[in-house]
Amino acid sequence: MAIVLIDGQEIEIGDDERLNGIQVAARAGVEVPHYCWHPGLSVVASCRMCLVETGKRDADSGEISMLPKLVPGCQTPARDGTVFVTDSEKVRQARAMVEEDLLIRHPVDCPICDKAGECHLQDYHFEHGRPERRADIKPFHSRRRELGETVTLFVDRCVMCTRCVRFTREVSGDAELMVVHRGAHEEIDVFPGFPLENKLSGNVVDLCPVGALGDLDFLYSQRVWFMKQHASVCAGCSTGCSIQVEENQDRIHRLKPRENPHVNQWWMCDEGRYGWKYVHDNARCLAPQQKTEGAWQPLDWSDAPAVLHAALSGENCSPENSPPKNSNPKKRRLAAVLSPFLTVEEAYLLATYIRQYDENAVLALGRIPQAGADESFPNGFTIRAEKCPNRRGVEMLLSALTGDVLSWESFLEQAAETPFDAVWITGGYPPVNGNDGAGEDVASEEEKSLATELPAGLASSTLIVQDLFDSALWRQADIQLPSAAFVERSGSFVNAGNRLQSFEWAIRPPAGVMTEGQLYWRLLDRDGLYNARRVLEDVAREHIAFAAASGEIPATGRDLLLNQLV
Amino acid sequence: MLEPLIKIAVLLGGLMTAAAYFVLLERWIAAWVQDRLGPNRVGVPLTRIRLFGLGQPMADGGKFILKEEFMPAHVDKRLFLLAPISILAAALAVFAVIPFGSVLPASVYTLFGQDAATVASTEGPVPLVVAPGVDVGLLYVFALSSIAVYGVIVGGWASNNKYSFLGGLRSSAQLISYELPLGLAILSVVLASGSMNLDEIVHRQADSGVWFIFTQPLGFVVFVIAAFAEAARLPFDLPECEQELIGGYHTEYTGMKLLLFLVAEFLHMITAAFLIVLLFLGGWHIWGLAGPDEQVTWVGAVGRLIVLHLKVTGVIVFFMVVRWSWPRFRFDQLMALAWKVMLPLGMINLVAVAIFEELSLALQSQLGGWTLAISLLGSWLVCLGAWFGVAYATPMIGDNRVRKDIHTYEVDPQI
Amino acid sequence: MQATDPDIQWVEPPKLGLGERMYLPLFLQGLTTTTKHLVSAKVTVSYPDQEPEIDNPLIYRGVHRLNRDEQGRVKCVACFLCATACPAHCIDILGVESPWEDREKYPESFTIDELRCIFCGMCEQACPVDAIELTSLYNLTGRSREEMIFDKEKLLSVYDATKDKEPMKSAQLPPVTTPSTATPSTATSTSPTEGGA
Ligand code: SF4
Ligand code: SF4
Ligand code: SF4
Ligand code: SF4
Ligand code: FES
Repeated sequence: MAIVLIDGQEIEIGDDERLNGIQVAARAGVEVPHYCWHPGLSVVASCRMCLVETGKRDADSGEISMLPKLVPGCQTPARDGTVFVTDSEKVRQARAMVEEDLLIRHPVDCPICDKAGECHLQDYHFEHGRPERRADIKPFHSRRRELGETVTLFVDRCVMCTRCVRFTREVSGDAELMVVHRGAHEEIDVFPGFPLENKLSGNVVDLCPVGALGDLDFLYSQRVWFMKQHASVCAGCSTGCSIQVEENQDRIHRLKPRENPHVNQWWMCDEGRYGWKYVHDNARCLAPQQKTEGAWQPLDWSDAPAVLHAALSGENCSPENSPPKNSNPKKRRLAAVLSPFLTVEEAYLLATYIRQYDENAVLALGRIPQAGADESFPNGFTIRAEKCPNRRGVEMLLSALTGDVLSWESFLEQAAETPFDAVWITGGYPPVNGNDGAGEDVASEEEKSLATELPAGLASSTLIVQDLFDSALWRQADIQLPSAAFVERSGSFVNAGNRLQSFEWAIRPPAGVMTEGQLYWRLLDRDGLYNARRVLEDVAREHIAFAAASGEIPATGRDLLLNQLV
Repeated sequence: MLEPLIKIAVLLGGLMTAAAYFVLLERWIAAWVQDRLGPNRVGVPLTRIRLFGLGQPMADGGKFILKEEFMPAHVDKRLFLLAPISILAAALAVFAVIPFGSVLPASVYTLFGQDAATVASTEGPVPLVVAPGVDVGLLYVFALSSIAVYGVIVGGWASNNKYSFLGGLRSSAQLISYELPLGLAILSVVLASGSMNLDEIVHRQADSGVWFIFTQPLGFVVFVIAAFAEAARLPFDLPECEQELIGGYHTEYTGMKLLLFLVAEFLHMITAAFLIVLLFLGGWHIWGLAGPDEQVTWVGAVGRLIVLHLKVTGVIVFFMVVRWSWPRFRFDQLMALAWKVMLPLGMINLVAVAIFEELSLALQSQLGGWTLAISLLGSWLVCLGAWFGVAYATPMIGDNRVRKDIHTYEVDPQI
Repeated sequence: MQATDPDIQWVEPPKLGLGERMYLPLFLQGLTTTTKHLVSAKVTVSYPDQEPEIDNPLIYRGVHRLNRDEQGRVKCVACFLCATACPAHCIDILGVESPWEDREKYPESFTIDELRCIFCGMCEQACPVDAIELTSLYNLTGRSREEMIFDKEKLLSVYDATKDKEPMKSAQLPPVTTPSTATPSTATSTSPTEGGA
């Protein structure tokens, strides 16, 4: 057990922990300002913002001897007896000096800088800078240079922390960015003809402590202080990156990665980062409809329980009375397809609902969208080929409920052999002509065919389809229920590494759409509003595979294989 | 037969016009006190002649008449209608015994075609009061002004609205409380003048040349304060107070019915002003205008009329200025004032008046003209003494804040 | 909250002297104040017969205008600071990349809902480039709600209509750096233009 002194405060750190001054200070609740150091990148100690006084306490005598010079906290390891002083006059002077130096050549065009409001230069200047400017330099506009399809560089706003350069070298591994020139003329640039284009390029914008790197997608779309942040989970692939949805008045403006050491560290891929556009697509299905005698009739959500009851049991029930439970006198054969876009809670509720009508209802896993192969980056970040967030969760639930996982293909075969009386198919897939951040068409052959023709074997059943976008299935359905996008729903996804992460809705669904959870909640005649937390408690209690999910789920999620003999 | 009808017509017309123009005056005074100009736009319709806004009462009346006669669904319909009618009727009926002038010479009959000679021999001067010679005049005024409170209570009750109801409740409590000091002050005037006939009372003051305000200053103060409260004028307008009760008992009223309420309120104020003038300020009397009614000339008659109405207008202006000078009382203060201050003062005044009257009767023969001086001095001493007594005892100053030592209940921090 | 809560400050009412308890002095005081006002000069301006006098257009808060830069382009850089400062939330801006070489960002649309505005002047104070200003136009009328939502063109036209009478305020204010040579701002025009913009 090592003891470190921060401003006179004793902090205990573990023996095998390797922390620097900034990190220990953070544990003591002291923030050491820093630009160039980032926990996910190598240490260069070039910005000198984190200068602190350091010294050593003699283990026996308890005497403290300080070093005469200031040292960068980011580069100074904390060992037993290390002493850091972060609030002395000397340190404050040093910080003010660094701030002043940075601002001598800074445009200070904060009013039009997208970073204003979350800019470290601003914040540190308010906190540590000199109250007035001594150099008589008028604010000017920064030069601008495009680095690639996704990122633009405001050259003069850069503080030369080289975080972006190190990121492309150490994390994405493509090393497109570099520092050109020397001394006061240093600039960030790309080599002519080799623009910044890798699948993690958007991260450099988050990394940049100032407004030098701008996200072309987000540029000028919203001032940061207008947006509200919601912790969420990316639905782009089965990695399930922890993200932060930033929205204003139910309109998403950007997604940012959220630190999660078990899943995505500090990063996320461009595909996920820019892949939310379909949420605000005008082509989204918005109105529940029902086919009566071959013609589409609008369906009121309040009538949905009765109509669905009729569709599943084959018996009519007047809309005024709530449908009787567990009544399926005709012994109809039912099936439900649980999409890998459903949350664990929603899948569980839907399965429970279907099984009310038919105890042996067939439950199948929805189609798994695949694109390319898994792609790993030098530091371990992986973009998965499975373009759905919750395959593992639905699989685990299915094997818990049925003892087996019926895939979409086998389900179609079964349906072709003996058609079902009624099938409930859930979707939630992004539009099939979706492309990744770089504009490539990633739709598979199967997706394309699904968009046009109905799988054989489903034609004779009563089809209840719940989906985001129009497709052959949607058009052939007897009851169409619009579904909500992942940012509009609450629940939990289980990623490819069996980590369950819970999230709450970030924006409200468009008018006319009821979220899956709320619909199932109502179908099951539960009171009040859908509460994902309570459903997950039920799942964890009933199914041993989810036992680890009981209790509060931490922000970084919980490993479902924890304490389980696999 | 014709004579009372003409008087009634003149009185009604005069009163209604007066009420309308007093509204204008009130608005003007309100504006001037607040450094504004007040209504000054409405003059002759369809022209740009503005006449300082003298057309405003007409416009106001027209507005009230043309407004929708709205009857809320939740009210008691019959009582709701009855309330404004009864209050206005009572307010108007009071004027039957209130002299709105002194007398006119008998020659006025000649204007109606009677023969001058017969008039001179048979008719006396014409008293300017609808019902002359009512010996219980004051009692009648008192009785009818108590009926007015029914209008308020019934209106508040029928409105079926908590604010109206509170207004009605407050009104009944307030009027009943202030009727006592009012009655005591009147009683001392009756005692001094030996009559309940208002004309007699004025004559008593005119004949002696000493108004009752001089001999009964304490009674005057008590009467004026009580009259303010009876007329529900600020600082005692708790039955209506716009800020707390948004109009109180007439919150639910609109259009004509509201107009009746408002007119009745102004009539109350006019009644109060008349009573103050008649009982304490010598009525039509001013030094030099005295003399028996029989010898009154046209000049004297018109002079008396003008003097009376100037005095009344002066008192009304005082009413209006007072409105903008002091904040409204709290209800507990109002009650404390009635029962702890006004009532004892009224009693002291009554006793003092009785003693002085008795003494001056007994001593008249020995002291002659000095009796008047002594009773004047004595009454002012009593007034000052009583006033100091009240100031010293401060019965109205009470600490009604939450007491730390006994109140330990939770209070919602949001309120 | 309890009556014994230490946060409650107990205030002792001032003790009244005998004169105050007599009520008479206070009574007369009240009456004197009212009577004084009763006869004092009136402050009402009989608009529209009389036009109000605006002493200092620099601090008058009337209809907004959007200033132009030297080249006649909208001066606003779409920084949203006015919209952020606005307590009535009546400013709506759409900021995009500017079509000009020397400027980065500009407002593609800029609307102020003059009906919602409370004319507090916070927008003017917030603006880093003195692009939005409140003029001394006070007679603002319209026949519909839509008409009272001023868009960029209308706000610029207010500038065109008022720029001669009311130069940009930043130009009128004394320079901050050299206070010794600064001439006090001369509020020249006081009479507003007829009918607004
Ligand atoms: S980077 Fe942008 S927000 Fe930060 S100080 Fe520079 S101009 Fe201002
Ligand atoms: S562009 Fe940003 S991240 Fe890159 S060196 Fe400059 S300040 Fe640092
Ligand atoms: S004057 Fe005030 S309310 Fe009006 S737009 Fe400006 S900031 Fe908003
Ligand atoms: S504060 Fe000024 S520059 Fe910024 S958006 Fe408003 S008007 Fe434009
Ligand atoms: S953070 Fe330590 S030198 Fe930059």
